Amino acid sequence: MNLDARQVGQWIGRRLAAPSSAVAVGPRPLATAALVAAIACAGAVPLVTSAYVLQLATDILTFAALAYSWNVISGCTGYLSFGQVSFFGIGAYATSALVLRTGLPWYVAAIIGSAIGGASAAVLGTIMLRLRGIMFALGMLGLARILMVVSSNWDFIGGAAGLILPAQLTPVAVYFAMWVAVLVAFALNYFVLHSQWGLSVTGVRDDEVAASAIGVPTSWVKIIAFILSALAPAAVGGLVAWNRSFLDPPSAFDPTLDLQVIVFALFGGIGTLWGPALGTVTLVIVGEQFWAYLPDLQLALYGVLVIAVVLAFPGGIVGIANKFGWLRRKPVAAPAAFPVVARPAQLATSGNDAVIEVRDLTVRFGGLVALNGVSLAVKRGEMVSIIGANGAGKTTLFNAITGFVKPTEGGVFYQGKSVSDIPSHQRARRGIARTFQIPRLMESMTVWENTLLAARNGKRAAAAVDQAAWALHTVKLDSLWLELPNKLSPGQQRRLEMARALALDPTVILLDEVMAGMTRNEQGEIRAVLRHFRDLGVAAVAGVEHIISAIADISDRMIVLDRGKKIAEGTPEEVLRDPAVIESYLGKVS
Amino acid sequence: MIVLQLVVNGVLLGGTYILLAQGLNLVFGVMGIVNLAHGSIITVAGLFTYWFVTHTDQSPLWLIPCVFVVMLAVGAVLQRLLLEPLAKLGTRRELLSLMVTFGLSYVIVETALNFFGSQYVSLPNLQETWSVGGLAINEALVAAGVLGALISGCLHVWLHYTPSGKALLATSQNATGAVTCGIDVRRMRGISFAIGSALAGIAGVLLILILPLSAPTADTLTILSFVIVALGGLGDYKGAVYAGLLLGLVQSGVGYYLGGDVEVVVPYLLLITFMVLRPQGLGQAAR
Amino acid sequence: MSGGTLRARGGAFLAPLIAAAVLFAAAAHAQKPIVVGASISETGPLAVDAAYHLKGIQLGIADANAHGGWLGRKLELKLYDDQSNPGTAVRLYTRLITEDKVDLLVGPYSSGISQAVAPLMNKYEHVTPMPGASLPAIFSAGNKWAFQLLPPATGYLDGMLPMTKAMGAHKIAILQAQLSFTLACGQARLDQAKALSMDVVYSTTYAMPPPDFSSIALAIKSANPDVVIACSYYPDAVGLAQALHRIGYAPKFFAETIGPAEDQFISALGPITNRIVSNTSWWPSLKTHDNAGFIARYKAMFHEDPDYHSAATYAAMQVLGAAVKATKSLDQEKLRAWMATHEVETVQGMFKSGPTGLAMGFEQYMFQIQNGKRLLVWPAKNEQAKPQVPYTGQ
Repeated sequence: MNLDARQVGQWIGRRLAAPSSAVAVGPRPLATAALVAAIACAGAVPLVTSAYVLQLATDILTFAALAYSWNVISGCTGYLSFGQVSFFGIGAYATSALVLRTGLPWYVAAIIGSAIGGASAAVLGTIMLRLRGIMFALGMLGLARILMVVSSNWDFIGGAAGLILPAQLTPVAVYFAMWVAVLVAFALNYFVLHSQWGLSVTGVRDDEVAASAIGVPTSWVKIIAFILSALAPAAVGGLVAWNRSFLDPPSAFDPTLDLQVIVFALFGGIGTLWGPALGTVTLVIVGEQFWAYLPDLQLALYGVLVIAVVLAFPGGIVGIANKFGWLRRKPVAAPAAFPVVARPAQLATSGNDAVIEVRDLTVRFGGLVALNGVSLAVKRGEMVSIIGANGAGKTTLFNAITGFVKPTEGGVFYQGKSVSDIPSHQRARRGIARTFQIPRLMESMTVWENTLLAARNGKRAAAAVDQAAWALHTVKLDSLWLELPNKLSPGQQRRLEMARALALDPTVILLDEVMAGMTRNEQGEIRAVLRHFRDLGVAAVAGVEHIISAIADISDRMIVLDRGKKIAEGTPEEVLRDPAVIESYLGKVS
Repeated sequence: MIVLQLVVNGVLLGGTYILLAQGLNLVFGVMGIVNLAHGSIITVAGLFTYWFVTHTDQSPLWLIPCVFVVMLAVGAVLQRLLLEPLAKLGTRRELLSLMVTFGLSYVIVETALNFFGSQYVSLPNLQETWSVGGLAINEALVAAGVLGALISGCLHVWLHYTPSGKALLATSQNATGAVTCGIDVRRMRGISFAIGSALAGIAGVLLILILPLSAPTADTLTILSFVIVALGGLGDYKGAVYAGLLLGLVQSGVGYYLGGDVEVVVPYLLLITFMVLRPQGLGQAAR
Repeated sequence: MSGGTLRARGGAFLAPLIAAAVLFAAAAHAQKPIVVGASISETGPLAVDAAYHLKGIQLGIADANAHGGWLGRKLELKLYDDQSNPGTAVRLYTRLITEDKVDLLVGPYSSGISQAVAPLMNKYEHVTPMPGASLPAIFSAGNKWAFQLLPPATGYLDGMLPMTKAMGAHKIAILQAQLSFTLACGQARLDQAKALSMDVVYSTTYAMPPPDFSSIALAIKSANPDVVIACSYYPDAVGLAQALHRIGYAPKFFAETIGPAEDQFISALGPITNRIVSNTSWWPSLKTHDNAGFIARYKAMFHEDPDYHSAATYAAMQVLGAAVKATKSLDQEKLRAWMATHEVETVQGMFKSGPTGLAMGFEQYMFQIQNGKRLLVWPAKNEQAKPQVPYTGQ
């Protein structure tokens, strides 16, 4: 029972990205103008308003910065955190200690404090990011509590009595500093949601396993996202502490801060670019006015709001806007029209004869022996089909080759070298591509982006756009390039998986039951691609298959597995007539 | 002697923790629902018990069956209204239930704040201490521990030896399979949440005799319950027993030798350590 | 009709008109009320205690108005609810000062919120009595405008050690909740123990919300102190007393800070509370300035007894009134200068301010629960009953 980031991705993907209504291509002059206007207005606030409104505006900016940062790790990366206040507190203490002990100007200290927050995220992330789903959320909550106790006992930073900070900041200075913090946090969100690197983050959220299979270094991506999510809160923490002229553990690690931030981001639209800002501005202003009438019910109203958003409009304000065609997300690096495919056909580079080899491979899961001393090879230039009855160990074999399962005994060799110590995403980058038995596509990314992400992590990353276009063109998905995966038929989804595999510019492709669920025509299209794999620069193909009729005539060799052992090997004709093979499928005829 | 007393304290404390956690375990194990409102239900039940005892001068033990029945009904209604709509969303329901119950917890806490105020309250009943061979054993802790053990035992019997319980187990292991066996899965979900809420309710009735409770700090109980459930392996009620005992013993020892400040972070440290080293928890069942 | 007669007649009409106009203007000016602003936690976790805090202010204003107000003007309260949230309080006090432009301010309830708003007083140079702030750190160097209207937390239970030493106690255990004022109190008691050459055999702090105290109670029992002092808030006061009872250990002398003053403490714990000592800054039996009158008027207005929070805020109103009347103005600098250099007799004792606004004149008292009743036992000159020893937990 594993609640993981994938569910966040699916949830967001299915809610926000309603069919092409959510994804729009083309320049966005209206949005850019609105952004510029907002920034200009924000700058003018201190000049035209009273101290009270300035304080309110500063609070809005503070929460917006925190909401954007929470959005990076929880919305964009899918790791829901209930403890981001940890970085707020770390930054508050770091900044305060710096100014008190070294007399640095506050803005320098705030930047250094932010860096310290990022560094602590790097360290803490190596532990915390090993947790998934609800465990990560609770672990972060626990972390905040632990930090509160640690700071209560550490006299260097004042212990439980806290630190008195002499007044150094004018309200206007604080306002502008918060404004800068919001801009930075917004820019980080923009980077994560709109850059090509940012696709890796979305990929991790939508399906961490699949991302790994297309070469995304998921651990690094998570840590970087975690660091990015800590920068703004750490700076904000320092600024808030100095504005209050006081800092103690309960105010530094205040859990209600997390609650409010979560409600704001959720209400605005989790995982979106505009959601945190819209949610924060709306709820803080509405809260000021509305809750003056119902003061005793403030928390209850927050609670009801959360429930309503989840049950009725999980995409938040942005989700609702999307239905009307506003604030739609623009696909990453998508040109105005599908690119002209310029990549020439090429032959695979030469190399070792045995592209993939497994020797005496044994995989045990507890008492179950999935693979028992299997040795086989996939040779350069050939297409090998691996067949066998259910439970034969076929998918386990692929998982072992691609690094998703650790062999109990034996070794996996790629181009003659052992890959036992190489993580799965590295194997993908070096040229071992695979598809999955049930397609694992990034639900919130378009067909184009799914493919582009793979291209960026493959061997032709420098020309990723061209490579992605070529891959899509090869499987004939050009016309659907801006669709979302949930709008594709099962056959089209499998073709997309193939496109992703091709986008890696792989040396070998492992296809896991690629023919399942496809119509005759679709099977024909895949067969056409497979027949000419050598022209695509692929050295070898291995396919696990049940629909033997679809692959028998295009395979050069066939291997049969039965209950973890290899029982036959040879040309398809030889193998299919082998009595042992027939028996494994049909049972002994007495 | 001190060590023996620490062990006894630890075991009794562990019993209290088990009492806290079993309701949550059932809900998560069967439904995959992460019920963040668990602590608020416990707190409301405890606050209601305080109100009842101070206004009617009756023993709080009368409330155990009453609260059980009332919370069964309330739990069933809440489940139908708020959680059933999420059930058809497949694997996403875990995350969404997290959010919904998060909101629900605040609604419950605020309502409690309005009815019962924000003060900490506790009851003087069951304060007796028995002296057994030099060891001091407190009535209220024993009651909580015994009830915790009883509940775990009943759960075990019910889940493994009765048709309705086995149906529930089946649903938790594979809902689709359960449907094909003719089990009304929707009813199972309702039942498990209702029972989970009822267990939380009676935990609250006993807890007010042991600790002061207040509406604003309800979430501490939720976190503590989750730590125990997570340590034991999510959904594994036997594991929760081991986890509760472990937590009780470790806290008891740490509080004595290292003082109060460290004692309070023990649950979180244990959680993080276990999650990194042995994510499936202490129980046998790895899901 | 000659011109002179006309002028005379006109003058006869004009004079009363002018007089009326002048009187009217004077009356209008006199009717412009003095606005006293405050943000109190009417909702949220602090609401129950803050209600007492508010009532002291309200009584202070009502009493002032019953005597014609200050400087001939009635007083009016401008009240906001900070929802027990320091950030909200900061915003509200900023509003009171900059938008509502109130004449006078009273501080909020609780040290935590006072701490958050105190810098505002210095920023905007607005004199403010703080009857919710026991924490000395708020009144540190650099503070000129905030005045403490509670005895400092470092004085809580300062009579305990001298009193018990005189009865033969040597060994002490001190526990502190990890809140700023309980820590300040605990540290002061540790220092005092050293000064009195008493032995601290056990000491620990604990985070809030409080843990289970069984192990701590065992550790205390192992150390076997004569005196146990807990610088606590309510739930930990209850938890510790229960835990000690459960292991059957009773120190000869047992004192806790915040908890025992609450009525619920006795109803929650019953006989365990007998002979527990606690501190207070005010008591109904004290013969401070107008104390009996204060209690009577409070009862008449609110139909309940006042507590030390109301006494503190009422004292704040008394101090403000004295300053306004003495300087005959509402000028902030004049009021500040006066309050910094003068003493005022209040229901809470003598208001006297140190150089940084710290309260130097208020005394601390200790009471003991004796068979369900709370009686003042320290200092001897104010005692309602002799302290009963030992503590037995029954």
